[in-house]
Amino acid sequence: MLRVMSRRGDDRLTWDEQKIQTGDAEAIAAIEEAERIFAQERAKGATAFRIDTGKPVQRIEKFDPTAEQIVLVPRVVGG
Amino acid sequence: MNQTSQLLTALCWIIIALAVSPMLWLIVQPYVRSMSRSERRATDLLRDTLTSEQMRQLLWQGYLEIPSPTKPRRVYRVPRTRGYVQVLENGRTIMRLCLQPIEHLPDADMIVLHKLMIEANEETYLQKANKYMCLD
Repeated sequence: MLRVMSRRGDDRLTWDEQKIQTGDAEAIAAIEEAERIFAQERAKGATAFRIDTGKPVQRIEKFDPTAEQIVLVPRVVGG
Repeated sequence: MNQTSQLLTALCWIIIALAVSPMLWLIVQPYVRSMSRSERRATDLLRDTLTSEQMRQLLWQGYLEIPSPTKPRRVYRVPRTRGYVQVLENGRTIMRLCLQPIEHLPDADMIVLHKLMIEANEETYLQKANKYMCLD
């Protein structure tokens, strides 16, 4: 799942990893869309974190479809 | 006479209502905000990100303590509502940090933001935050 933080809470995009492996067109389209959003938000300065149950949070630079959850945090500045 | 007294009573009630309404709003406001769609979605993410123990701490103590991944005696205290993040070392506050996203986020998302950045990106977090040293 890709979660993008915004003023609306968070926008979510999910995909089925198993369906992707079987070549399901809808699942592939979902993952391509997630990848596009990931790149777009990263270009705007967002930071991406990978969250997998039972593992420490990890900052990531590249989109990883095997991640349980990817959270995109908007660019931050000193307040 | 009777009409005048009724009018005065009504006027008194209006004045009381006007005086009390800001206080009522202050009490009710957090609940109204928490019911908004964005806050609900942000609270879902918060629940997914925190352990039940951390949720309890946030609820009952009003802050979330995040241990530093690099300094064993350091703890970051993130408030439930907007405000400074306190940095504690050996139980003493050594500085306060102020960091905000360029886009407005619901309060619950702000807690997740601090948690993720501290746990996985502490160096950048400290670089970007404005620091206010505590000298006492």
